[in-house]
Amino acid sequence: MTISLIRFRSRPSRQQRRIMGPQSALTDFLASHNISAHQIRLDADARRRAAQEGQGEQNNENNESNDPASAATPTTTPAVSGNPAPAARGRRATAASRNEEEARNKEKNAIEKIKASKKFQKRKRHVDSDDEDDLARALLQSSAPLPGQQENCENCGKRFTVTAYSRNGPKGGLLCSPCSKELDKNDAAARKKKPKRATGGAVGVRRQLQSSILDGTYTLGAKSLMTLCIETLAKNIDLAEDLGDLPSPIIDKIARKLSKLRLLDSRTLSLFLQPTAEEVQIYDGAKLNSDDYIRIFQVVPGLKKLKVRNAIHFKDTVMDYLISRNIELEDLYLHGANLISEARWTEYLQKKGRFLRSLRVYFTDKHFGDSVLALLPRTCPSLNRLKVCHNQEVTGAGVAAIAKIPTLRHLSLDLRNDVHSDVYVDLLGKIGTHLQTLSLTRVRDADNTVLDALHAHCRSLVKLRITESELMTDAGFARLFRGWANPGLEFVDLQKCRQLDSAHPRENPDGIGLCSDGFRALMAHSGRTLRELNVHGCRHIERVAFEDVFNVNNNNNNNVADSGETVYEALAKLEISFCEEITDYVVGSVFRCCPNLRELNVFGCMKVRDVRVPRGKILVGVPNARGMVIEGDDDEVRQ
Amino acid sequence: MADSKYITLISSNGFEFVVLREAALVSPTIKGMLRGGFKEAQTGVCEFPEISAHVLEKVVDYFHYWYRNRDKENVPDMKIPVEMCLELLMAASYFNLENMPVARPLQ
Repeated sequence: MTISLIRFRSRPSRQQRRIMGPQSALTDFLASHNISAHQIRLDADARRRAAQEGQGEQNNENNESNDPASAATPTTTPAVSGNPAPAARGRRATAASRNEEEARNKEKNAIEKIKASKKFQKRKRHVDSDDEDDLARALLQSSAPLPGQQENCENCGKRFTVTAYSRNGPKGGLLCSPCSKELDKNDAAARKKKPKRATGGAVGVRRQLQSSILDGTYTLGAKSLMTLCIETLAKNIDLAEDLGDLPSPIIDKIARKLSKLRLLDSRTLSLFLQPTAEEVQIYDGAKLNSDDYIRIFQVVPGLKKLKVRNAIHFKDTVMDYLISRNIELEDLYLHGANLISEARWTEYLQKKGRFLRSLRVYFTDKHFGDSVLALLPRTCPSLNRLKVCHNQEVTGAGVAAIAKIPTLRHLSLDLRNDVHSDVYVDLLGKIGTHLQTLSLTRVRDADNTVLDALHAHCRSLVKLRITESELMTDAGFARLFRGWANPGLEFVDLQKCRQLDSAHPRENPDGIGLCSDGFRALMAHSGRTLRELNVHGCRHIERVAFEDVFNVNNNNNNNVADSGETVYEALAKLEISFCEEITDYVVGSVFRCCPNLRELNVFGCMKVRDVRVPRGKILVGVPNARGMVIEGDDDEVRQ
Repeated sequence: MADSKYITLISSNGFEFVVLREAALVSPTIKGMLRGGFKEAQTGVCEFPEISAHVLEKVVDYFHYWYRNRDKENVPDMKIPVEMCLELLMAASYFNLENMPVARPLQ
């Protein structure tokens, strides 16, 4: 018996595998991890046989232990203490003693294993025994019978067949299926209680509502079927293997939803890579690695537009791959790709820049600087849109280089370095005529000369943003908008253009920032076309100016035609937070004058107390206890 | 028939669904079919040979769900069976159920 066992042990497992015919993928995988399915089956069979033998022994006391079959028990199941054949003779005896030692070792190992197991730790907590070894041995002895065997239920004492799904009872024994179901029911009841407490009734609902209002996703009535489907899909994305041939706008929506839930990773990325697509938009690439980015170019060879946010692992290797392939990107949008070196940017622009029509680079601190921008005029002859946001490297020299790109239509700069006004004036003089978008965020040093240059050169501007200027004055803004040959703007953001002096916060003798006259001139010039206006923090605009602009003739309340009120048809979003002079009356006038207004922000307007809000409009930021949002329920206001 | 309160939608395998006209008009696609001199506008019957009965049933469910909740706040979400999710998504795109019309336009 021992001989057969030794032979069984010593047989090289590799040889065994070689004899076998075609194998399943699982077998291959296990084999690569040095696990043999055959070996496992043999072990299990031996154990089962031994256990049966053991049971037979228990039933029949007369069965002597010198039965040759029972001698196998100690070697295969360490649970039964080593009790080798009494006949200790010659070679067999040595084999037996070696056998015993082996069994003891095995038991020791098993005990160690049990000590490390979760079950043991749990039990230890319950029993509070000092002697770990004893406890572990007790566990070992009571170790559960294998699936397929018969066992008595710990709870009701009935005999039943053990399966892989049999549950453990509280004392460590096994339970029959009716008893486990009983236990399951209790568990389920305990589990159900918890989430109920977590989602709090009315407060949770209100919070959700306000969150959706601030997200801009608030609507009265039911969600659209598409939104419902996309939400369901995002919840169950691990079940999806392929999105099929959905139209690309829908795929884009799914991508947005998934990114919002932080579910975009290597696996889910494949759902969005369609070989025929020209556009890939990744809204959260934080979980993707360099290989994933390379995979994008492999799977989608006809890529024209690429947008990646949080593209942390979009590094040199990815750039190298992109440069080496025949991919002609027209639109590149990279957010947070700080690991691309300046050399790669240079190489990319030199090799592939001629295809680029739009280049947007966000949140880079070192390697996207003046020298890269200096390449643009030569390498990108058809560049139409350029956006450099939150950049710590670009200085005035870089901005001066941008002025040499005559094809530019849309320019957005959000730089950390201060750039002198002269640079902007020069830029506007050279390329200002055709600019449709100009966005200068955080330009502390820009002064009225920039505004005058805008007035003199820009003729096709649609979107204008100048924020946080501390030098521009009211007179400058008024000069810009009065008699400007540029058609009405659709988007204006002049937030935080205001006087900053902590010693005299109220006084503004020099008229710094956007004040009353500038605001009047702005609305006179662009009021009809404006869709979005942001004058956040322009706190020196007086109440009179607001009342002039949002003019309602109170005496003719019932007759709109005669009242002579100004109507701003297009305005959909207005931000007047921290304009101190705003009152209830002004807010009411705004609602009357802007029939298509969707959202009005009035954070920090402390004189707004109690306004009637028309139905379907949103007023955000009212300083009252109801929270910050009022969704109107007043239908009568426009009569 | 043309100005009845109800219209009939027919799925690919011939199932007919009778729907409140006002509810079905949430879909710009159906709205377009019922406007002008099309056959559908005269008979009030729209056939959708690309859409199977079980998907159309869910879409019709949605029409009524939307109609019931068109003025309410905090509408509970309609249950979408996971296995039909992609088919319904296609149907939603077909019926243009993407941006919901404003519940009640201001007078």
